Amino acid sequence: MEFLLENILNLVGFLVGLAIGIMSYIGFRNTGSPTLFRLTIAFFSISLGFFVIWTGYMIEDFVIKSGNIERWIQTLGIAIQTVGYFFIAFSHSIKSFFPKSSYFRSVGIFPLFLVSSVQLEHIFRSVSFILLAYGAIETMLSYFENKNKGAISVSVGLGLLALGEFLGWYSFVFPDSILYPASMIIKIGGLIALFIPVSKVPLTKIKFDEDFGK
Amino acid sequence: MAEYRTHMKIIGDILATTRDDLQDEDGASVTYLIRKANISHSRISTILKTLVSQGLLEKVDNQGSHKYKISENGREFLQAYYSFTNFADNFGLSI
Repeated sequence: MEFLLENILNLVGFLVGLAIGIMSYIGFRNTGSPTLFRLTIAFFSISLGFFVIWTGYMIEDFVIKSGNIERWIQTLGIAIQTVGYFFIAFSHSIKSFFPKSSYFRSVGIFPLFLVSSVQLEHIFRSVSFILLAYGAIETMLSYFENKNKGAISVSVGLGLLALGEFLGWYSFVFPDSILYPASMIIKIGGLIALFIPVSKVPLTKIKFDEDFGK
Repeated sequence: MAEYRTHMKIIGDILATTRDDLQDEDGASVTYLIRKANISHSRISTILKTLVSQGLLEKVDNQGSHKYKISENGREFLQAYYSFTNFADNFGLSI
């Protein structure tokens, strides 16, 4: 059951991320907007992250057949997704994300080399949770300004992804409980909510000079 | 409080003015665009030059003065701009 849910989640994540990434890229090519460029990086990263984990499960299922996905593949996929979530949050102008002190900047990444891949996974999940929660709140705040109903769906989607990440992280306390499958179902719901408003945007294939907007 | 406009939004406002809100068939004068798009003369000059060089606006010489009309490429760009503004709005962002 867990294996099936993992496969569905990672496949849906890969496809939704890819679809939104392509739309953002078309938008960037048409308008030259830096915001759309950041969204392109964000959703291609998210898509790639899900794809890496999905590939890991497929290799495990059809080639290795050990019963467990290689931990480093899962960690790598989650790390790539975290990069995507960072760019979503960054698009909302995170100004205080990085520490101002150069000392803290230099040592900030150092602990990542001191912990095992299992702990790294939890670090990435918790960072993802913070970034997603930030994105969800900012998107909801923008709804109060613009009254764009699509923003509610995106905000709910990001919120569900944040909750899913939190439960996925918390499930290591209760490894065999329902928490992990629940986190995957919630994340699938989040991805669908994310895609609903985006799917209604009419696409255009026109392309302009690449130097436009510089 | 005045709303902050991105560079893209200013371009969208200029193109929308030349498409939907023309003084006459010859196009819009710089003064008219400055008033409608609410932008300084120095800034609009640079933007207009870029838009003309990119083929989004057409510059028309009219009795010694220049007027600007939206081109077919400009119309398509404006349509794409509105589509992707809506797309970015869903994420609570401005393009």
